[in-house]
Amino acid sequence: MVDVIRLSVFRYDPETGSKPSMQSYEVPFLRPGMKLLDALNYIKWELDGTLTYRRSCAEGVCGSDGLNINGVNGLACITPIAGLKQPVHVRPLPGMHVIRDLVVDMDHFFDQYRQIQPWMKATTPLPEHERLQSPEDRAALDGQYECILCGCCTTACPSWWWNGDRFLGPAALLQANRWIVDSRDEAMGERLDQLEDAFRLYRCHQIMNCMEACPKELNPTAAIDNIKRKILARKS
Amino acid sequence: MNDPGRLTRRSLSPRLSVYRWQPAMIASLAHRVSGLILVLFVPLYLWILHGMTGSTDDFERMQQWLHSGLGRLSLWFVGVALFYHFCNGLRFLSIDAGWCESRMMMRLSARVVIAMAGVAALLLAVLLLG
Repeated sequence: MVDVIRLSVFRYDPETGSKPSMQSYEVPFLRPGMKLLDALNYIKWELDGTLTYRRSCAEGVCGSDGLNINGVNGLACITPIAGLKQPVHVRPLPGMHVIRDLVVDMDHFFDQYRQIQPWMKATTPLPEHERLQSPEDRAALDGQYECILCGCCTTACPSWWWNGDRFLGPAALLQANRWIVDSRDEAMGERLDQLEDAFRLYRCHQIMNCMEACPKELNPTAAIDNIKRKILARKS
Repeated sequence: MNDPGRLTRRSLSPRLSVYRWQPAMIASLAHRVSGLILVLFVPLYLWILHGMTGSTDDFERMQQWLHSGLGRLSLWFVGVALFYHFCNGLRFLSIDAGWCESRMMMRLSARVVIAMAGVAALLLAVLLLG
């Protein structure tokens, strides 16, 4: 068991005008099962209060602390330190505008989420109680609804790095598929119309980094393929 | 909402230079590269075809070139690219069709296709040098 964890952390403060750099820290191994977020907290609270990063629930639910960890995106709060090669390289999510240190601007990411209109659309009259689903229809949502919008998948996608202004990215498309496969939603045609575009959907080239990066073990590539099949099916 | 003026002043976080390459990513990029090699081979192929059908002397000259180091290397590149593009194309088609869509199968199929291409590259090299 290692006593000290060596970290190399991305630092950038646009207000000082200095260029981004990597800063080394040494953190004691606090306890078995220690997560990367614990190490960042130690740096922040004990070594260097200027280090800036997002965090909230610390249990992989809020999706605040998506980071690039040793070259692969993941959540700091559920990434065990023990399995990481040292020094642990910690950088912000790739291809994003850095606000400071590990904090990136997520506005565009959430704008793209809004574009897929992530709410149920139904024109039929509301039933007396709720809109019911069969167990099979409900099961179709498994692997879709669990997305926490941490951005790990979208910011791992090279197609999104280069065409992020027009390609919606894996997270937004996974969410789009979540509503397309929802038996209660009545706007599948409208949703497919919106997605059927050379860039919005078809910039996905099956690189599959999204699937590798997802901390919730979801499969955005499969969701994107399902949307493509739905579009193909309605043409035939 | 976004303020483009504000965003352009900020640095972009590093992306391709830091992202760790994984088998599925390598398989996808190799598919583009092998496709590019196959497209670039078309003019070379036409040049070879034109050279071989001119006269007996031209045919022998072209045959000599094909047996030269550069000729063999070209054939090796194209052979490997064709094999890889075909195998990974089948992989992509099956995933498009909804087969092998689990995370495990996506990872495994990428490794299998890369390994198959590696073996094919070795075999073709032995065949061309032997």
